[in-house]
Amino acid sequence: MTVGETILKLEAVRKSYVKAQRSVEALRGIDLTIQKGEFLAIVGPSGSGKTTLLNIVGCLDLPTSGSVLYDGRELGRMTETELSAYRKENISFVFQSYNLIPVLTVQENVELPMVIERRFSRGEMRSKALEIIRAVGLDQMADRYPRELSGGQEQRVAIARALVKNPIVVLADEPTANLDSHTAEEIMSLMEAMNRQRQTTFIFSTHDAMVQKHARRVIVLHDGLVSEDRKEAA
Amino acid sequence: MSTIIRIAFRNVIRHKRRALITAITMMVGIGFFIALDSLYNGLDRLSVDDVINFRDSSVKIFSAAYDADRESYPLDKGIPDTTAVGAWLEQDKRVVAVTPRTQFLAQAGNNRDSVYVIGNVVDPVSDAKVFLLKNALIGGYFTQRAGSDRQVIVGKDLATKLRLSVGDTVVLAASTRYEAQNADDFTIVGLLSTSDPALNKSSVFITYDAANDFLDLGGLVTEMDVRLEPRASLPATLADSTAVAAATKAAFPTLAPYSFQDLNKGILTVLKQKRAWGYVMMLFLLLIAAVGIVNTVLMSVYERIREVGVLKALGFRGREIVRMFILEGFFVGCLGSLLGTALGALINCYTIYVGFSLAKFGDVGGGFVFWGTLRGEWNPGSIIFAVIFGMVVAMVAAYIPARSAARMTATTALRFV
Repeated sequence: MTVGETILKLEAVRKSYVKAQRSVEALRGIDLTIQKGEFLAIVGPSGSGKTTLLNIVGCLDLPTSGSVLYDGRELGRMTETELSAYRKENISFVFQSYNLIPVLTVQENVELPMVIERRFSRGEMRSKALEIIRAVGLDQMADRYPRELSGGQEQRVAIARALVKNPIVVLADEPTANLDSHTAEEIMSLMEAMNRQRQTTFIFSTHDAMVQKHARRVIVLHDGLVSEDRKEAA
Repeated sequence: MSTIIRIAFRNVIRHKRRALITAITMMVGIGFFIALDSLYNGLDRLSVDDVINFRDSSVKIFSAAYDADRESYPLDKGIPDTTAVGAWLEQDKRVVAVTPRTQFLAQAGNNRDSVYVIGNVVDPVSDAKVFLLKNALIGGYFTQRAGSDRQVIVGKDLATKLRLSVGDTVVLAASTRYEAQNADDFTIVGLLSTSDPALNKSSVFITYDAANDFLDLGGLVTEMDVRLEPRASLPATLADSTAVAAATKAAFPTLAPYSFQDLNKGILTVLKQKRAWGYVMMLFLLLIAAVGIVNTVLMSVYERIREVGVLKALGFRGREIVRMFILEGFFVGCLGSLLGTALGALINCYTIYVGFSLAKFGDVGGGFVFWGTLRGEWNPGSIIFAVIFGMVVAMVAAYIPARSAARMTATTALRFV
């Protein structure tokens, strides 16, 4: 797969769910095409459908109607097991509250996706984890536990964990929401650097204008619809 | 798998306070289960030992002819060669002592009232090696002056009924071996106060010296009583009794040896039923501990549902997540079971090697007398049961909430507050 090639296509994606006995339509017909290597921000007010869209793109949830195609494969036609396997191999997540496993060290947290994949030897996992930990600037902290790290450091570990298995796409839901502006800037710069070096597609949701300005493409959601899709200057 | 084990183990360590509270709950349940079971065994043992020590000995041997007519206490069907039988028995390493006895029917009176009693003719020296009458006496034992005055030990309740005491004279009337009626005065040297109401109410003991004259016994022995080496557990004691009785029957086919079980089926059935009820009570104790375990494990799982969401988003399968929580339950279960076993063993050490003196309970009425020391008994079976029960409960307690957490979608789990 080369840079610029389409990796993900959403066609007329709708998602509704029941909340407090009321049907809520979170997405009302999204059409979107994403190319490899994009650094894309999804923005919009609360309740506009950002997280729902990320969950569908991340194969954590399926649309009520419409289709999601990864590499031309329709997600809706996959079984639960196939979906889980696809997610395991191709998609990574960075969460707003980091969500590291508190009882595992930095290195063990980073190794976790490879442990689940069961494709790597112990030595391979170790060297790959150390390499990415070094890349996010935490090589002195590989043996520390999450509780011994600052918020920014934890998010770096989460990014390392997301990148270690070379996924097609990294999805980040409000990755800087819990960080101060200086640390948020550092994290965005790190994600950007990783995107450029590894050509990994990053899709992140944000409210923050400073974060938005790092994106090379911005999709604005409003009431479950794409209200704007603009390219930013690199 | 090693990562799942690592996460599970470290989570137990991380939540050590909660793990410890759960383990302590288990410790109390399991510890007291083990200790109570030990005391129950001790009580059973005490009951059996009392029967062995005061009434039936470990093995009782009659002649087959006497055995057929045993209910009427005949004085013409004794064991032919007691010396040969005694010598053969004493070769067995399990046998501590053998003593002859002869039982007869009699009336005991005080010149105004009389009561039917069962008389026991004993050899004071060897009898004291088999039975522990000496330990349950108010007053004294037979003084050994052959051919001298006629001495008798009577049951305490019998003496009370006849308004007699140590030093008084009791009149015994009985048929002799040749069916002549005889009556004579006997001096009471001791009052027997045992845990067996029948012995206290209707038994008298005289020596062979006195009985040879009084009953024309001519040395007739109607039963031989055997004391076996004490064994650590009740099942081993009963097994020895059965084995020695069977060996005696094989060696002397004309004899009718009875093991403890043969003579006391009723007692053993009652003990078994009592034990069943005891187990029901003890299981309640364990169930109370189980509720505590379920509660703390539930809290642990629900606190970490977001973590479940992350693991699912990373690709963990539901069954791996369930396995992780079950392992946590297993580790806590191991800790609780270990502590419980240690507590149970500690209490057992006291009850087994020190014991509780029952003397202070004394006569509780109805002819029942507590005496001696209640000691616990090791019961490896119940310790293993309690340990396995603790682990299984902890694992089941973890399984139920873990299964519901694992069934959540990653998105639901990640949103869980």
